[in-house]
Amino acid sequence: MSAPRSATPTTTETRVRYGAGTGRSGLVLALLTLALGVYLTVGIVTMTVPEGAEAPGPTFFPAIVAAACYVLAALLVVHYVRTPEEPEDAAGMEPVEGEDHATFTDWRTLGLTMLAFLLFALLLNPLGWILAAALMFWIIASAMGSGTPVKDVAVSLVLSCTVQVVFSAGLGLHLPAGILDGVL
Amino acid sequence: MESVDLLLGGLEQAFTPMNLLWVVVGALLGTAVGVLPGLGSSMAVALLLPVTFTLDPTSAFIMFAGVYFGGLFGDSTMAILVNTPGGSTAIASTFEGHRMTLSGRAPQALATAAIGAFTGGIISVVIVVLFAPKLADLAINFGPPEYLALSVLAFVATATVVSTSFAKGLTSLAFGLGFAVIGIDGISGAQRFTFGVPQLFDGISIIVITVGVLALGEVFHVASRVHRTRPARLHELEGRPYLSKAEFREAAPAWVRGASIGAPFGVVPVGGAEIPSFLAYGSERALDRRRRDPQFGKGAIRGLAAPEAAGNATAGTAIGALLAMGLPTSATAAIMLAAFRQYGLQPGPLLFDRSADLVWTLLASLFIGLVVLLVLNLPFAPLWAKLVKIPRHYLYAGITVFCGLGVYATSASVVDLVLVLGIGFVGFLLRRFDFPLAPIMIGVVLGPLAETSLRNALLSSGGEYGVLVDSAISQTIYGALLLIVGFTLYRRLRAVAGRDV
Repeated sequence: MSAPRSATPTTTETRVRYGAGTGRSGLVLALLTLALGVYLTVGIVTMTVPEGAEAPGPTFFPAIVAAACYVLAALLVVHYVRTPEEPEDAAGMEPVEGEDHATFTDWRTLGLTMLAFLLFALLLNPLGWILAAALMFWIIASAMGSGTPVKDVAVSLVLSCTVQVVFSAGLGLHLPAGILDGVL
Repeated sequence: MESVDLLLGGLEQAFTPMNLLWVVVGALLGTAVGVLPGLGSSMAVALLLPVTFTLDPTSAFIMFAGVYFGGLFGDSTMAILVNTPGGSTAIASTFEGHRMTLSGRAPQALATAAIGAFTGGIISVVIVVLFAPKLADLAINFGPPEYLALSVLAFVATATVVSTSFAKGLTSLAFGLGFAVIGIDGISGAQRFTFGVPQLFDGISIIVITVGVLALGEVFHVASRVHRTRPARLHELEGRPYLSKAEFREAAPAWVRGASIGAPFGVVPVGGAEIPSFLAYGSERALDRRRRDPQFGKGAIRGLAAPEAAGNATAGTAIGALLAMGLPTSATAAIMLAAFRQYGLQPGPLLFDRSADLVWTLLASLFIGLVVLLVLNLPFAPLWAKLVKIPRHYLYAGITVFCGLGVYATSASVVDLVLVLGIGFVGFLLRRFDFPLAPIMIGVVLGPLAETSLRNALLSSGGEYGVLVDSAISQTIYGALLLIVGFTLYRRLRAVAGRDV
């Protein structure tokens, strides 16, 4: 994602570094589409089709999708080579002025958010819902710039306990108790 | 007037305290996500879907209906007050709506929007009550070739019409279809694309996909920009929304015109109410130009009334298409279709026979839901606007917690949690590069139907491809598809030509 954003300086001349890669990071989706096509192709080739399956068999429809993936990957490459794209913010969001970043995406915050979810997935059974969900909430809130870590601990625990009470005790969803088993 | 009797029966069912409670919960939730930019009814329904499995189907769908319409009531509030549409369906309302705010007429604008959404909703639900059973009677003749045609129409129309480029929309669709083919094949029993992973034998759960694409993907998208953007400022609003008699008379014809433009779009799968709301806005502007004292550009009440009515009219008739034909026309409708299936119900002609109780209670609760939404939105719109003051770091951390809750609650599987993380990242990439999301959901939900219809049709014809376009119904559907794509292409070419001038 190498789309440099000029920070719109007021006096000096706005300089945007345009390289061959500028606005073309969308090519990563062409790659992803190609990967999906390859995944489907490998699956089709290695599939054990049960005997007696009549044509059109189980590989018929996936083959159409796989072929479409290859064509679309090519079309996306053409699209991004011909028309580089400037990323846009969601409606109602104004870019913070006076900052210049190498990438449009804030990979640090995004990485922390994804890491928090991964931790939640891995710790849910050992730690239990209350602690795992609270930990995820706290990490994401901090990563997104909350700035009040102590208050966030309280907020996150209140939220995860409320969910435990409403959804587990109230609606009967199963949530793991983890190390708090017996206390609850 | 058989429909009316059935509807009255449904009203009786819907008026139980528990069902009323679900209507109100749905309406509150729908309005809230509608008001908040970035959140939409599709995300709310995605997050609710796992939780509602503990409810009986009627309550669940009553709540979904509230969320569905609520999203459309709420999304114009921020469009009017802050020039920020709460969702793509409110973009057309933003132009004149915000101008009304700038000229000090915010209360009137909010009232126009709420009453417009209500009018459009009511008109469309009446249409559904009168015509959905007839549509179901027509659809009962559908065989595999017709269902294939219907699916193809939904696929191609959603992928091409709303998307900024055909390639992007179709790529989203391919992702959806790719997700859909994973798992054991229903016809032959062959294991497909599981590579021996037992958790994939049943396919990727629809909940994992919806939560990943629509909810977690949005969280990641916000995370990627949260430190580099700030929300636009909110105008404080004094006083309650109201309309004077003269203003009401001014807006009334536009509400009706908007509703009549929006209603037909419910059965055309173009990915929601964005197109009809723009058409309604455009036609009002064309009419306005002929008036002696054109109002557009100065905060024309009709320029806000028409698109609001159109959006909700589309949403209403879309419910009819979903119930009678099993055809989802937007991401939210696609999730609702998936929800029906989770309960073992198949929307389509047979639903009106087999689950008539549920259908008519649902339709009756749409009326109740619209009244509740009008009450919630008309006097309290300024209060709802205060929701934007929730700090983004708490809002999105909370949404992530609910993503985790929903996915784990349905499967109790850590593998699914890791899977939803991966799909959420794909959802982020699609947002970052401006790929439409509705085609994924339509692809995932209708993919299996399209595949079985295609294979069954070819099996019964002995591999003769002509069977796919044999019947008049499929020919009509493919004809409609050609018209839609042709019109989109024409519009796009004209836009390109216009840019060069």
